[in-house]
Amino acid sequence: ISMYCYKLPVKCCVTKLPSGLVIASLDNYSPASRIGVFVKAGCRYESPDNQGVTHLLRLAANLTTKGASAFRICRGVEAVGGSLGSVSVIYDTVMEYLINVTTAPEFRPWEVSDLTSRVKMDRALAAQSPQMGVIEGLHGAAYKNTLSNSLYCPDYMVGHVDADHMHNFIQNNFTSARMALVGLGVDHDVLKQVGEQFLNIRSGMGTAGTKAQYRGGEVRVQNGSSLVHSAVVSEGAAVGTDEVMAFSVLQHVLGAGPHIKRGSNSTSKLIQGVAKATADPFDASAFNVNYSDSGLFGVYTISQSAAAGDVIKAAIGQVKAVASGVSEADLTRAKTQLKAEYLMSLESSEGLLDAMGSQALARGVYHSPEAIAQMIDSVSATDVANAANKFVSGKKSMASSGNLVKTPFVDEI
Amino acid sequence: MMSLAARSGAFSPYLQATNYAVAGPLKALIPGVVVKGEKVLVDTKKPFLTRESLNGQSPKTGPAVSVSINAKAAVRFAHTDIKVPDFSDYRRPELLDPNKSSQESSESRKTFSYLVTGATAVVGVYTAKTVATQFISSMSASADVLAMSKIEVKLGEIPEGKNMTFKWRGKPLFIRHRTEKEIATEEAVDMAVLRDPQHDKDRVAKPKWIIVIGVCTHLGCVPIANAGDYGGYYCPCHGSHYDASGRIRKGPAPLNLEVPYYEFPDEDTVIVG
Repeated sequence: ISMYCYKLPVKCCVTKLPSGLVIASLDNYSPASRIGVFVKAGCRYESPDNQGVTHLLRLAANLTTKGASAFRICRGVEAVGGSLGSVSVIYDTVMEYLINVTTAPEFRPWEVSDLTSRVKMDRALAAQSPQMGVIEGLHGAAYKNTLSNSLYCPDYMVGHVDADHMHNFIQNNFTSARMALVGLGVDHDVLKQVGEQFLNIRSGMGTAGTKAQYRGGEVRVQNGSSLVHSAVVSEGAAVGTDEVMAFSVLQHVLGAGPHIKRGSNSTSKLIQGVAKATADPFDASAFNVNYSDSGLFGVYTISQSAAAGDVIKAAIGQVKAVASGVSEADLTRAKTQLKAEYLMSLESSEGLLDAMGSQALARGVYHSPEAIAQMIDSVSATDVANAANKFVSGKKSMASSGNLVKTPFVDEI
Repeated sequence: MMSLAARSGAFSPYLQATNYAVAGPLKALIPGVVVKGEKVLVDTKKPFLTRESLNGQSPKTGPAVSVSINAKAAVRFAHTDIKVPDFSDYRRPELLDPNKSSQESSESRKTFSYLVTGATAVVGVYTAKTVATQFISSMSASADVLAMSKIEVKLGEIPEGKNMTFKWRGKPLFIRHRTEKEIATEEAVDMAVLRDPQHDKDRVAKPKWIIVIGVCTHLGCVPIANAGDYGGYYCPCHGSHYDASGRIRKGPAPLNLEVPYYEFPDEDTVIVG
């Protein structure tokens, strides 16, 4: 055994098949491999009459297919020590399935009706988290269609989504042109063969998705909680545009979550600004999300109900301050934090697979971490200030929950 | 990435992992979930009371929801996927409502239970006694043996003055058809001279017939009829003389001859025993 550490070349190959299927693989010489099928078939593609079908599809990942029964899938996966899951990651690029489960699920009616209790449990768990409610409400208020759909099955559809809905959705949306087959620790040729053989069943684009329309609305959920969760956003950058990096850097200039276990978040402008406005416990973070044709950028605050107005106004004030100019030191710090966050997300195989899949699906290419780091470095202070201005001047959407007696309305901010 | 982790075991369909975690890798919320019948009871919210506990709770970007079998790690709430069966078919009506106190009905329930138990115990005791006596009495004499304990005699066959001997219960039974003279004699006997004073009418139901057991009261020999000094019986073993009423008159015997139980179903028959 050699004492030296060889730097083995890590190759990432991306090929696009004639059917539109994108195949991406990265051979990281890992003993365990990950394969994912990324499909553009998220909840934004739900129509008004099949709301909730993606939630059921997410839960139906292990149900019977034409090749194997649910039991066999579960036991087979366990026998090799593997894991099979489905992720509704972002609103439009969704679902990781293995080939069998992707191409030939049977959706037996009794198995589908058994999913109802799991749907209820998912919804109960989601209701546990006020953040989930606020973000879902925010999307519902900000968009007129597509992106306003919830990740979860709505109340009136629980128990009413059946196998036909699911088959139709799969027929219309799980097409080769909207899929990416991504592998980590697998040989590219092998993956290509698998893609050609098995994932060519449904060609074409399927039903075209509608463009998301931003409208800018407000949702307020009054309940008894003493903590007010509030998100104020305006339209941000879509994936692939030049502004994406600027918004991400802006997010880190303002402050995006803690970086160390304890401390006073001294690098977060939002937290420092809001701390001057209230002495009570609070939290604030810049919120940034990018979709294929739209995005949202703003601030998310958690505060005591009496201080909610002060906290929100202080947070917005901080963004306005950045809009008028950001110092070099802040810019460098933000860029470093963004780079660190991205690179650290690639350290786990799930994160890496997610990143590869999202990029393969969105643009059909995979940018290496070095390329991404360069893109981040190329963001200038003016780009960041412009992004902040876009927020300040854009039409705002707001979602709040808690005891909202002192929470301002979106037009009062 | 905003995500919260709820974890489960592989085979439990009720506890599939639905992943979503809160702001960054530093904080993760793991809610406990209990599935009870049709209701899903979730853990009460963790209270956020300080700036430090709120630190990192704000999400930075859109949520990711994932489901998988064999999730990262399994927090297996094994006891929560066991379904407690519904026992309402077996409960008393006043105890069906789980939200009502059981103390209100406790007195009536106790009274009923104790009464029923007490009555059953009493009935049980009597039943046991009956069964036991039936079993034990089965060991007593059987009917043929009991039948042998009685003897029926046709009195017409016994002429006057004659004594007839029958075997009865293993002992000799004397039935004597007394003459008028004998009856008068016996009735006139003075009590003072008798060793065992008994008037004749106390020893006979009908004076015509004297029925005695022919066993000498001295040492058990059989007296000879129509012998002795008193016109009755004479025991040859030790010389006891009995009269026509079977009373001892002379000799070593202490008592009169035993008179058994008898009855006359009609004039001509006697049943002894």
